[in-house]
Amino acid sequence: MGLNYYEIKKNILRARKLVIKATALAGSGHPGGSFSMAEILGCLFNKHLKFDPQNPQWEDRDRLVLSKGHAAPGLFSNMAVMGYFPESELDTLRKFGSRLQGHPDLKCPGVEFCGGSLGTGLSYSIGIALAAKLDSKDYHVYTIIGDGESDEGQIWEAAMTAAKYKVDNLTVFLDRNFIQQDSYTEQVMPLDEKLEGDDISEMWKDASRWKTGDKWRSFGWNVIEIAGHRVEQIDAAITKANATKGVPTMIISRTVKGKSIEHMEDNPEWHGKSPDSDVVPIIDLELDSQFMIAPSIIAGDMTHLENEIKRCISGRSNYIHLDVMDGKFVPNKTFDHTKIKELRPLTIIPFDTHLMINEPVKHVGDYIDAGSDIITVHAEVTDESSFGEIHDLLKQSQVSVGFAINPDTELPEWSYKFLPTIDQLTVMSVVPGKSGQKYIEGTHAKMARLNSILKEHHFSGYIEADGGVNIENIGSIFADGARVFVGGGALIGQQDIRTAIRDFRDAVLKSRRRILLDKAQEIGGTDLVNKWIGLHVVGEKQEQIKKIAQEAEYI
Amino acid sequence: MTDMRSEYSKSLIQVGKENLDVVVLGADTSNSLKTSVFGKEFPNRFFNVGIAEANLVTISAGLAISGKIPFASTYAIFLPGRAVDQIRNNIAYPSPPGKKGLNVKLVSSHGGLSVGPDGGSHQQIEDIAIMRVIPNFRVFIPSDTVTVSKLTRLMAKEYGPFYMRMARSKTPLVHSESQDFQIGKGITLRDGSDCTIVSCGITVQMALEAAESLQQEGISCRVLDMFSIKPIDNELLEKAARETGCIVTTEEHNIVGGMGSAVAESVSESYPVPIKRIGVQDMFGESARDNEVPLLLEKHGITSFNMAKQVKEIRSKKL
Repeated sequence: MGLNYYEIKKNILRARKLVIKATALAGSGHPGGSFSMAEILGCLFNKHLKFDPQNPQWEDRDRLVLSKGHAAPGLFSNMAVMGYFPESELDTLRKFGSRLQGHPDLKCPGVEFCGGSLGTGLSYSIGIALAAKLDSKDYHVYTIIGDGESDEGQIWEAAMTAAKYKVDNLTVFLDRNFIQQDSYTEQVMPLDEKLEGDDISEMWKDASRWKTGDKWRSFGWNVIEIAGHRVEQIDAAITKANATKGVPTMIISRTVKGKSIEHMEDNPEWHGKSPDSDVVPIIDLELDSQFMIAPSIIAGDMTHLENEIKRCISGRSNYIHLDVMDGKFVPNKTFDHTKIKELRPLTIIPFDTHLMINEPVKHVGDYIDAGSDIITVHAEVTDESSFGEIHDLLKQSQVSVGFAINPDTELPEWSYKFLPTIDQLTVMSVVPGKSGQKYIEGTHAKMARLNSILKEHHFSGYIEADGGVNIENIGSIFADGARVFVGGGALIGQQDIRTAIRDFRDAVLKSRRRILLDKAQEIGGTDLVNKWIGLHVVGEKQEQIKKIAQEAEYI
Repeated sequence: MTDMRSEYSKSLIQVGKENLDVVVLGADTSNSLKTSVFGKEFPNRFFNVGIAEANLVTISAGLAISGKIPFASTYAIFLPGRAVDQIRNNIAYPSPPGKKGLNVKLVSSHGGLSVGPDGGSHQQIEDIAIMRVIPNFRVFIPSDTVTVSKLTRLMAKEYGPFYMRMARSKTPLVHSESQDFQIGKGITLRDGSDCTIVSCGITVQMALEAAESLQQEGISCRVLDMFSIKPIDNELLEKAARETGCIVTTEEHNIVGGMGSAVAESVSESYPVPIKRIGVQDMFGESARDNEVPLLLEKHGITSFNMAKQVKEIRSKKL
């Protein structure tokens, strides 16, 4: 427990990979619903749940009830990552004699509820919550229900009961992925509003159509509505729920079925189907290729940074990149921790604080206190000892550890030993301290050099590209291995930041699709390329990917 | 004549005092079942979940997995008849290490045809069949208030899922206070050598009356109270088959899948003898005012007169 942002993300990624491996081996299972709740489970297991894998029956543990039991692979994979059993046991999913049944089962120590028959987990959770109150225990019950499952009348029987008995030790997530076995929920049995036509994104885009929250509010629940793949939103919602007394909390989490795998996303076909083993390596690569956009607000109006934060929120950026310059390490001066502290209450989007200052070891504590989620310090102003101190302090404070190198700096050898636990490596592609510079082309070659060192020394973090990133070069920078993209003028400098961020994402997506096609070609030739393309059936994806494959002359 | 529900209520309070983990749940029938009395005595340990039987069953399961001993009660027609999925998947199936099922006690009232005036929609004639087919469940049908009291205590002590079905109407006392009740052990109420009547619930008294009248005619009839339908007393049944050579079963339940079926299954594997099953003839019940309930039972042959008649007929088929 007490992991930082990146560590949580990495564990979620590990769990997702295990789901793919296990369902592919089993030949059946439910990856779609496992992936829509992946971040929810990840946040619970990695940060909030009290449990002991060595003593699964510890009586004061928090209880996790997976009411949507078909998403068992998602639960089991998280339990494996947490150490309840070896990850290799996932290979026995659904196998005769395995503890890892098709649906969660008490046969597997640590599982709290035999799921499978839908609509019952909430009532069961109420029973546990009532027992906790009778015994004056302060453990908490967390329950995940599905939206298809919400067709069941018993969900609403339980909704009334939980309010009647004021079980404030119960927090429920609705995994609102808009898809159930037959089709879209809003076609089968609308929770919000009946969907005419087939474009599920209509439901996503138009918040005025969302009625589910009103339903739960009218049943007397504390309702929080979030984007269910945003770790920081889940985290904040849980904290808020736990602080709410006298009523149970429903966290309506808008999610994407099959999230992270393009061909599974929003595709009802992937409710209960496993991937073929020949595409698993491509899927794994896709999972490794998730990326984040981090607008750097100093590229905006420095006199109204609050306003720049608001623009980042409306643009749905993943991070807010905060460049701290002291006028010594770099010629310019921006702001210090006091400003960050002022900005912090404006948003829960992670603060990616980049310290371009001398002697960071003396100041890092201030930036932790100011509420940074990621703190990056420079190789040029640290050494093995001071960085070690910073590293440990950040880890203890659950802040992600960032390490940055300037264009002229090679990764110092003393830093190699930290590579396995450094969360983010920032590779500067401009000379820091001035805005409006062009991307230094030599960075591509430097990235190639770096990649082999990083691999050799077991770096498992994310590479951040900082400096001159724009819509033209972002694809190739992604191909170099960067996964976090700081955007100055190209994002914050644009009038419409939301479109600018979307264009960034689209450009990365195009590059990613090419990389995945390269992989398909490499391991399975034209047949696999065609198969991979054929899997993408929702929306315009197939045509777009086909075009990329044609440009590459794979088909 | 005494009332099973009042006895159940009294017994609950007793076990509730002895064991603080005992909790009671109702579904808007708690005044009728008199479980609301428990709620007055122990307000924190009583939960009325409204007319929501699925919820009733599953909340009980949640309480049980957390160490409580829930007694969940409503009318028979709404318990196995309505919430079989929750009973199966939330109570019977989940098995903590070394245990079979969860520690929930489902106790219904208004079983069988003798429900009377409410009519066929309320006469649960399928619950024995439903409940005895679910693994890990044990199924009881008490014949009188002594049985209700003893079985309530027994269920509170013994781990595991149980179903007990009570009758709506008052019943005569069949057993003495000193009678011992054990899981899977039938009770020989009257010895005999020419035939055995295996009975349960309100038909036990009728069976005793039939045996008495047969005695007048020189026929020696054994009577068993097979209150424990699952597990059933194979040993006692085999002994009856060997020693009396034929068996008549009686119950206010469909003859398909009921106690008679359980007896037939047992005897056919141990010592096959002719068996006649008296019960509801695979059809639904209907309204009968309280004073007409005997007429309704008679329509299905559930009378001491018919029992005696069937005993005489089956004796001629002895092997």
